[in-house]
Amino acid sequence: MSAQPSPVSLAAVLARGDIWRGDALPGLPAGTIASGYAELDAELPGGGWPRGNLTEILVDRGGIGEISLLLPALARLSGEGGRLALVAPPWLPHAPAWAAAGVAPERLLVIRPGKQVAWCVEQLLRCGGFAGLLAWPDAGIDARALRRLQVAAEGQSVFAVLWRSTVDAATPSPAPLRLTLAASADRLALRILKRRGRPASRLLQIEIPRPGRKTRVVAGPAFSAADAGSPAAAAVA
Amino acid sequence: MPGHKLSTALGLLPGLRACERDPAREARALAGLACWSGRFTPTVSLAPPAGLLLEIGGCRRLFGGIEAIVEAVRDGCRVQGWRVDWAVAPTPLGARWLAHAGAAASYESLAALQAALADLPCVVPDWPAEVVARLDAFGLRRLGELTAQPAASLRRRVGNGPVDDLLRACGELPDPQRAFVFPERFAAGLELPSRVEFAEGLAFAAQRLFAALAGWLQVRQMLLRAGTLRLTHDDGSSSMLPLRFGEPCGDEGRFMRLLREHLGRLQLVAPVEALSLVADEVVARPDASTGLFDQAVPGEGAAACIERLRARLGDDAVRSLAQHADHRPECASRSDDPAGIFAAKTASTATFGKPRPLWLLPAPQPLAERADGPHWHGPLQLVTRGERLESGWWDSGEASAVGDLRRDYFVARNGEGQWAWIFRDASGWYVHGVFA
Repeated sequence: MSAQPSPVSLAAVLARGDIWRGDALPGLPAGTIASGYAELDAELPGGGWPRGNLTEILVDRGGIGEISLLLPALARLSGEGGRLALVAPPWLPHAPAWAAAGVAPERLLVIRPGKQVAWCVEQLLRCGGFAGLLAWPDAGIDARALRRLQVAAEGQSVFAVLWRSTVDAATPSPAPLRLTLAASADRLALRILKRRGRPASRLLQIEIPRPGRKTRVVAGPAFSAADAGSPAAAAVA
Repeated sequence: MPGHKLSTALGLLPGLRACERDPAREARALAGLACWSGRFTPTVSLAPPAGLLLEIGGCRRLFGGIEAIVEAVRDGCRVQGWRVDWAVAPTPLGARWLAHAGAAASYESLAALQAALADLPCVVPDWPAEVVARLDAFGLRRLGELTAQPAASLRRRVGNGPVDDLLRACGELPDPQRAFVFPERFAAGLELPSRVEFAEGLAFAAQRLFAALAGWLQVRQMLLRAGTLRLTHDDGSSSMLPLRFGEPCGDEGRFMRLLREHLGRLQLVAPVEALSLVADEVVARPDASTGLFDQAVPGEGAAACIERLRARLGDDAVRSLAQHADHRPECASRSDDPAGIFAAKTASTATFGKPRPLWLLPAPQPLAERADGPHWHGPLQLVTRGERLESGWWDSGEASAVGDLRRDYFVARNGEGQWAWIFRDASGWYVHGVFA
């Protein structure tokens, strides 16, 4: 009579080295930098923004708080003495605001490469002297150029973010982390399109610090029920 | 002078010393010289019994011209004790014939080569004696006269060989040469012309071996870490001299210096008749290949990268930010030379308590004003009280300065979730910044 296998506890089975759990997020070898938002860190592999890999953030319009989402991480990189680079930004960076956020303006490099955005980003990634890189590539950048950028970023400890439009959400891209951002009520709605590990299904609502007070509107139309109750004085003459 | 007897020669010159030709030694010497010439070009071919063809068309620019290569080759051969007849020509056979004839010159073009070949006597190419005799009987003494004859009738009379050789030398027929294969492992030997009794005398002979080793290392792109020099004595015994380098190297000068140090301390047990050199440990040369276009080297640092960007994009395209104490937003932030990016960390200057946008538009954009206020991609809602900035009277009237401002700034938000920094001045509403 064959002996029945003795029952083992589930915890012991899961603790074995040859068991891979499909719902666990992997750690990243190159390291991560904490984003400063706990609910976002819980959803990112490695517990923060990845270093040494491309991160694609897709937005359809600016001004909804997309840079403020990255500011805690960028402030930490700059505070440690790292250099940051902005490549082809849509507007001019305003030094007092960046300084107030914790990013030293003298270590922030602004580059306007004209048509050669992809080449410029590749050089900055490869040289390894920059801790953070935000780039706004052309709308028509193709997967081959993105693949070159990803290869250039691997092995460095740079936090690289590419800003693209939400129309590119359907086209495949070699970046290991892709997010879309949209504004919703008072918060930033973040959806992770692609990440290492199991696919994300939840829509995250992140509260970004915004100027002014939320509960009070000085003037103008009411956009939500919360605002409708506040006294709206006539427009300032 | 070929063709005379030894007794005749001894009669002419009584002190003549006669040695027997040893083809094997000659072949080994030629192979050693071919290895040495690997430092100039990887395409070498042997033209036995005493010829070496180096293809230097590809490495002209590396060495800085044909004259430089020829000088280097002649110097190297002289140091090793060889006497060379040389010529440079566009075709290998043409170069061989010219060198055989003793023309110590280089011919750049096929036309110059053909003109030079025309003057060579017909005995210069190694054609069979009967062919040379027939040509002599025809009265054709120079190669130029040969080429003037109709080719078909010449072929019938002297055969295909000489005519094809002429075509190859003039570059009309392709002439592929068998390339000299550099050996996988370097082991070269040399028999000394006379017995050497003092160690220092070995240095000259060993120099040829080390020269061949250096050329072999260059072609194989390797560096030597350990080798052995084996001395064969006249009583049949042999002794080994190990050579070890702390850091792998391929430089012939370093080899010779190390050898001289060893030889200075070495006591020979018996006179030495032959030397042989074996490379025991070789490592690959750790060079990185550079890309064809200007590429960043990983880890080269920000300074070199910034230089490269400025070189390609222009100095104005690469700037860093600087804060300036001015109430006017356009002047508070200005772009600066990126050299400051390497400055030590400075304490941050005092910042406003008022909210400032991360991005500023290059110029304030006027906003459409509707019944419920200014519009920017939708109706705008003002979130803060007005902040009045009045400044800059000293600049008004100047050409490129901002001038006098009197603006009320508000933080505004529209229905799509965008936050902007707008102001109102005497001429209406404008949007100036974006809170990203």
